[in-house]
Amino acid sequence: MVAHPLPVENGVSTRAWSASVNGKSRQIIIRDHDILLDVLRDGVGTLGAKRGCDMGTCGCCSVLIDGEPKLSCMTLAVEAEGCEITTVEGLADGHHLHPIQTMFAECGGSQCGFCTPGFLVVCAALLESNPSPTREEAADAIEGNLCRCTGYQQIVDSIMEASEIIKSEERLVSTTLPASNPHPEYGG
Amino acid sequence: MSKDKKEMVGYRQQPGKLDFTRPGSGGSSPISEKRGSARIPESQGGELPQPWGPHRHDGLVTGRVIGKRTPLIDSKWKVTGQAVYGDDVRLPGEIIGRLVRTDRHYARVLSIDASEAESLPGVLGIATGEDAPHAFGVLPVTKDEHAMAVEKVRHIGDIVACVAAEDEDTARLAANSIRIEYENLDPIFDIKDGLKDSDNPIHDRGRYHIGESNVQKRVFQKFGRIQSIGDSIASHESSWTFKGVNHGFTEPHAVVAHWDPRGRLTLYTPQQVPHYVHRALADVLEIPMHQINVYRTFVGGGFGGKSDPFPHEMCAAILARKTGRPVRITFDREEVFWTNRGRHPSKISMAIHADDEGRFSGIETDALIDGGGFASFGHVTTYYNGVLHTAPYEIGAFHYTGARVWTNKPASGAMRGHGAVNSRCAVEVGIDDISEKLGVDPIDLRLANLLPPNSATITGFRITSMGMRECLERVRTESGWDEKFRKMPLGKGIGVGCGFFISGSGLPIHWDPNKFPHATVHLKIDMDGGVTIHTGAADIGQGSDTVVAQSVAEVLGLPMDMIRIRSRESDTSPVDLGSYSSRVTFMNANAAVSAAMQIRSELIKAASEITGADEKRIVIGDRRVFSKDDPSIGISYLEALHKAQEDRGALVASGSYRTPPMGKMHKGAAAGLAPAYSFSAYVAEVDVDVETGKIKVEKVWAAHDCGKALNPLSVEGQIIGSCHMGLGQVISEEMRYGRTGNLLNPDLLGYKIPTVHEMPEVVPIIVESNDPEGPFGAKEAGEGPLLPILPAVCNAVYDAIGVRIQELPMTPDKIYRAVESTCRKGGFESPLDLPSPRLDQTPLSKILKERGARHSIRDRERRLKSEPEAYHNGALFGNDPEIPPEELDPDWQVQVLPDEEYLEAPGLAGSAWLHTERRHRGEGA
Repeated sequence: MVAHPLPVENGVSTRAWSASVNGKSRQIIIRDHDILLDVLRDGVGTLGAKRGCDMGTCGCCSVLIDGEPKLSCMTLAVEAEGCEITTVEGLADGHHLHPIQTMFAECGGSQCGFCTPGFLVVCAALLESNPSPTREEAADAIEGNLCRCTGYQQIVDSIMEASEIIKSEERLVSTTLPASNPHPEYGG
Repeated sequence: MSKDKKEMVGYRQQPGKLDFTRPGSGGSSPISEKRGSARIPESQGGELPQPWGPHRHDGLVTGRVIGKRTPLIDSKWKVTGQAVYGDDVRLPGEIIGRLVRTDRHYARVLSIDASEAESLPGVLGIATGEDAPHAFGVLPVTKDEHAMAVEKVRHIGDIVACVAAEDEDTARLAANSIRIEYENLDPIFDIKDGLKDSDNPIHDRGRYHIGESNVQKRVFQKFGRIQSIGDSIASHESSWTFKGVNHGFTEPHAVVAHWDPRGRLTLYTPQQVPHYVHRALADVLEIPMHQINVYRTFVGGGFGGKSDPFPHEMCAAILARKTGRPVRITFDREEVFWTNRGRHPSKISMAIHADDEGRFSGIETDALIDGGGFASFGHVTTYYNGVLHTAPYEIGAFHYTGARVWTNKPASGAMRGHGAVNSRCAVEVGIDDISEKLGVDPIDLRLANLLPPNSATITGFRITSMGMRECLERVRTESGWDEKFRKMPLGKGIGVGCGFFISGSGLPIHWDPNKFPHATVHLKIDMDGGVTIHTGAADIGQGSDTVVAQSVAEVLGLPMDMIRIRSRESDTSPVDLGSYSSRVTFMNANAAVSAAMQIRSELIKAASEITGADEKRIVIGDRRVFSKDDPSIGISYLEALHKAQEDRGALVASGSYRTPPMGKMHKGAAAGLAPAYSFSAYVAEVDVDVETGKIKVEKVWAAHDCGKALNPLSVEGQIIGSCHMGLGQVISEEMRYGRTGNLLNPDLLGYKIPTVHEMPEVVPIIVESNDPEGPFGAKEAGEGPLLPILPAVCNAVYDAIGVRIQELPMTPDKIYRAVESTCRKGGFESPLDLPSPRLDQTPLSKILKERGARHSIRDRERRLKSEPEAYHNGALFGNDPEIPPEELDPDWQVQVLPDEEYLEAPGLAGSAWLHTERRHRGEGA
């Protein structure tokens, strides 16, 4: 898709920007120098992408651009023009959480949760390209993300558990759809 | 469940319309689930072993969730991106605030010219120090902060003014166009300079000012038989340098302030301690507390760094009041470092002495800590650097001198393991060295010198449950210690370290503990049967909401899904002191249990009225209230609830917790007092490259005594996470200040937090010593687990290469230089020729092993006694264990002020006592 330059205002040129964010096509006006993270948070409203350092050191702002994990604080919005962008909000399939989301909750991969969105998209990309990673491969995948709470061990555990689920092709119980029974063990 | 059996859910919840007599109609099966006897304690006829004896809460255990690995109650919000952190609060009409930070180390503010900023289109409000003259601070005794500089700026990054504008770009532009005129003052950066008299002390404490120096707080403590130190056969002396470290939480501070149309303020902030912010806001804004609602958002990590009331929170409120619009202020990462409150840079001299029986005849510590520009929690930190190493070992004498000085750097404050971390590292490394000098195994030495359960430390702390011995024994076995220690080749090493930490501070900062409780929890149960918990405990990711909900679910025999928790707003939550000093599980869960017990007894009373069974024989199980003797006699939870609600509607209950009276009477006796203490022992295995100085920590066996793991998933998370944070301080993290006092690495590139590749495999080992006063036996697990990792790694590095480095972090360059100098002194050509340390056990070894075995029996007996006789530190040295030694032993000193003799040759921090307070010089009335 081609960007459409708009008139220059106050010395800053703006343009119409469009991309697919979490499967939904979005068109907004941005300035040429806008950073993707700002556009996602302030323009699109996907607040799941977090701002931790603004210089590509913490990985909290990680998003998937055409399936590849990227640091959105180090990416100009224009670079992602016309791309498929996935943030943490786009990981769940309808009412079914992605296995990595479920396992982060179950295995203690998330404590304060601020780095979690970044980790989740990176892990989801890993599991997409390599559904059965070793612990070393899992560690390599998350080396660009900092977590101050968990010490990473439980994050790697979560990846390994999620990998088991993906391999077994089990469908996880939906936890958000009200029509289904969210508490099967307790009955109706 | 198949369709034909399905109940009409809508009907069931209408009281009085349905007959509830069917057994188990509260659950999915017509017959109620049996109580999970695997989790019912032995004392109640269950199968849960209780090697540490029964507990007062045993009768409340329904086998529901306590002790079960429970995912955090809010984890689904976090993994779907729906958790709202500070910067995610977006209110209609919000504007952006920016803080104007100074570029001076230390200067007097002469004038502020905001005319250019005011004229910028889009700028809506500007505030300076004049708008908020009131001082605030986390401790009432040291209120020395302002929203914005009043008179002076005290470090680079100190706030001078703030602006609010329509968008962030305009706000930044406006902040940059404010012109400030300063008169520079002479800054100090070296911690030692803080001890000297100054023309311009960084703060003025009035008549309480210590000399004309920058000493903010000084402590002197001398306990025990000091003169016996002279009879020691081995002594360790060291002098340590610890660099400052930052919490490094991933979420930068952010705040949103909004004045509603009625004129009330709501402040959205990721805070560990919302109540102190509440108080400080009332002071600074000059409005009553009831006109403020402090709303705690999700907190993206705290670790102590979000526990002060902060100037930026005041600024947001001031700007919002001025502009009439909601104001959001979010920090850059750099601003997080300017705000800091991280661990104090410290210089610590440590001397440990051992006598011919391998007893610790004395510990002498001198700790000088660098407070930076403000007091923060420093008053307490100064005490903690000493008093928190009076256990777990029985000691003959304890001499501590500590001082905290102001310097022109970002303020230090409370950080995970508050005040205890650095001096604990020095103590444990010292014990490793002493054991080498004595020719004994360091674990044997520790096991033969532990205080027993239910004892008092040398300064009068009350130890109740004590799992130190089990921690040491477990890590010894699981790590294969006896086959590895001092037996591995050059470059491979193993080391041990221990920890001791408070489980909740015994003294609430703002009020008399005899008058008000530490924690209060409210419960509300309406006709739907779900339980709403109102608590002010701040969940900062550690899982406090989960643990409070678990406690209630356990007592009421309900699934976690029926519990909802409201802990965010001061409007709806009872006052709570917040998440610091590892107090939440101990105090809040206790308060929650006490509230749930009230509801429980109402349910039991109702069940008794309906069934006619004796109240004393009725228990609660899986959503059912039934007779212990014949479980078929009983009613569903809902039926009991609706019976109890007759004539009154929703059940409500309020439970609270307060600490019992504790401690001695000397000055400073309250610092470090806690209703319980946690213990931990770690063994670390490292690989050191002797040629490059690079350390790789391979594996850590981490045993922590948390009393009872209410949620083992969280306890393990805390243990592993503590290893990560402590490891950072050992190998890479450091706030680096240049020669001219500039912070060189205020970012996460230069400030090196370990990544996944630096993390060793951690084997968490949970030891459950069943604390008599903790909720279901629980103690803390949040901070204590950090302490042992530092010395364990330091000792392992020595085991690997035979070199001790007394400066953290041990970066490769430091190891390289130390190895080089050892080679030069020892005449080794290559570092690969260095000898690896070996242990030749002396006869003392046998004495210690025997004493350890004897004490092990003693401890087991004491912990099972319901009322054990008193045991005061000093018994190991021949004193009567039942009488405080100072009452019997004429040589046993208790001294909290230095004497002339000491002042003739004081230690570094001790030299703070050479100054006289102004009031004692007859000045500053």
